[in-house]
Amino acid sequence: MTDRLVDELCARGHEAELVTVPFKWYPGTRVLSQAFLWRLLDLHEADGRSIDVVVATKFPSYLVRHHDKRVWLVHQFRQAYELDRTDLGQFDDSSEERALRRKVQALDRVALGEATRLFAISQNVADRLERSTGLVAEYLPPPPQDLAYRCDGYGDFILSVNRLDRAKRIDLLLEAAALDSGLEVVIAGDGPDRERLEQIARDRGLDGRARFAGRVSAEELADLYARCLAVYYAPVDEDYGMVPLEAFLSEKPVLTTTDAGGPLEVVTHGTTGVVVSPDAGELARAAGWLREHRDDAAALGRAGQAVAAEVTWDRAIARLLA
Amino acid sequence: MKVAYFSPMPPERSGIADYSALLLPALGDRLDVTVVKRGRKKAPRGTDVSLYHVGNNPDAHAWIVDALHKEPGVVVLHDFVLHHLVAGMTVGRRNGHGYLDAMEREYGVVGRLLAHGVLDKRIPPLWESRPADFPLASFVLEHATGVIVHSRTVSDLVRASGFTRPIWVVPHPAWPVNQIAPARIATGPVIGCFGVVNASKRIPELLDAAAKVREAHPDVTLLLVGPTSPGFDLERRLQRLGLGEKGLVREGWTDEARLWELMAGADIAVNLRHPTMGETSGSVIRALSLGKPLVVSDVGWFSELPGEVALKIPTGNDEVVVLTAALELLVTRADVREAMGVAGVELARREHDLGRVAELYTSALEESVGGAAVADSVLREVSEAAADVGISGDAAEAREIARRLAEVDLGT
Repeated sequence: MTDRLVDELCARGHEAELVTVPFKWYPGTRVLSQAFLWRLLDLHEADGRSIDVVVATKFPSYLVRHHDKRVWLVHQFRQAYELDRTDLGQFDDSSEERALRRKVQALDRVALGEATRLFAISQNVADRLERSTGLVAEYLPPPPQDLAYRCDGYGDFILSVNRLDRAKRIDLLLEAAALDSGLEVVIAGDGPDRERLEQIARDRGLDGRARFAGRVSAEELADLYARCLAVYYAPVDEDYGMVPLEAFLSEKPVLTTTDAGGPLEVVTHGTTGVVVSPDAGELARAAGWLREHRDDAAALGRAGQAVAAEVTWDRAIARLLA
Repeated sequence: MKVAYFSPMPPERSGIADYSALLLPALGDRLDVTVVKRGRKKAPRGTDVSLYHVGNNPDAHAWIVDALHKEPGVVVLHDFVLHHLVAGMTVGRRNGHGYLDAMEREYGVVGRLLAHGVLDKRIPPLWESRPADFPLASFVLEHATGVIVHSRTVSDLVRASGFTRPIWVVPHPAWPVNQIAPARIATGPVIGCFGVVNASKRIPELLDAAAKVREAHPDVTLLLVGPTSPGFDLERRLQRLGLGEKGLVREGWTDEARLWELMAGADIAVNLRHPTMGETSGSVIRALSLGKPLVVSDVGWFSELPGEVALKIPTGNDEVVVLTAALELLVTRADVREAMGVAGVELARREHDLGRVAELYTSALEESVGGAAVADSVLREVSEAAADVGISGDAAEAREIARRLAEVDLGT
């Protein structure tokens, strides 16, 4: 998103550069000392020329000092918030680690509180921010990537586009396929959960009905979107997710779950997609319904296209710099 | 984390007891909390941190401050002005020297001389005549490893008093509003005032203003709910103003359920006070939750309420005039009452949500226990990195680094 933002700013006549600092968040207080590096950066000017605005997107970049700091929040340091005391958490129960987690939160309150404008990429991210810090962010969704979006009809397969890790819950789709012998799935993307997912597919006898496409090119991805029946996207409490908007631009409905978080801001049951409880049987039934009601699936996809068409870089940058 | 919780608890009739009854279940969901039995002066074995709720009433809080003096911990400062508490714990225990010492520690020789004047009955008791001028908060703060306050006003006062350890501002929690059957006590607009009836709650001024409002709007009723302070002659004032059988409805102390019903049945909630002891008001929080438009004094924590939920009355010569105008506005403008009520409910949801408050308590307690180790560790890492590239402690760059650390509260 940040590379694209820089490109889009430059395309509109602004001078923009991406500033990055590698971030090591472990062990112990390294998360704070490394985050502090951002505070030492002087971005008020460069090469003798003043910098009008800085845009920070995620922890710890928003610690940067500037008189006009805009934050377009992708996410906070989630290990200090909703991921705490989960498998994905970082801080143990020692008094120092508990206090460390609180210090990260306090740092957020100070650094985000300095922002002259505060945006969040999804209402889900904005809600988390308000719950955790009391700060209110405006919802500003980033547009999806540039692809040759098109619709070549509504084929037989449900497409998953995602990194293959547990939180993305692709196993749920495989379990649904195991319950519905008519359900075909194509899984685009790669990641640490691939081996386990492939094993599930083998164990459930999904040979030929579950294809792991791996990392695909932009052309291949556009082609998969163009030919699929619908797109499956159901991570747990996702920040936002570009995939639903990409599906919509291909006039495809999105199949998701009631606990998916950010995606639910654009996927509305019966309007732009199908939203079911996170249960393989429910997903299988929903996929079956889409297969048997292709005209309805197309109508949902077209409604989604209208939603996605509203999310443009022109609008995003106009608000970001207003 | 094991927390020893020192507080008055129901059935004691105290706002802080009600507060703790509300907070404890939510806090217990997050921490291992043991409520210390009244009168005990030691935390249970294995306690990580003790939490002391301190208010100005010596009957309710002296035993808690005794425990604090034995074992430092985090103090929840419900009032900033603690003169009455200190007097109760010294003069009230026939320990005049303790009072002299407390006054001298905070106010020097002048303080000691004044205290002598009080003990010798040459001047009126300062805890009654001038408590806000001599808050005596250090009596408690000296033993606090950190302080939880309910308002920025008190946070500033604590900091200005010289307290250098952590301060956390944690809003007063809001009670969950369940099904309440509003008790309507009149057909016309009802101005409700809930709490102790005395001069510092500006009841004389409220009575004056209500009488003036009734001249133009005789259907208005003033509802006074709460016990009358000893020495406050309410009856005589009512007679003088002609606020008798028709203009005023009086209820003394009520139980919680009746309080909610009466407040829900009122159209306007008035909560005035001067002087303030730095306290918050449970009544105001209740009124916000119920969506009642508020009229408050423009002092202390009450000044921090957003203008969209409360009309603020300055203390001083024009108090009754402004109060009368505010009441007239609210009595005659249902749309203003409605808009303020909606904003009040939203404020209660956003700022005073019980879960949020319990989370802020948990955060404060976790910081208080492990925060120093974290600060040391960050400072060590940063200073080692600086030393590695030849930046010594007295270099300008080191001062720059220290400034940046302070900006984001790191290393403290």
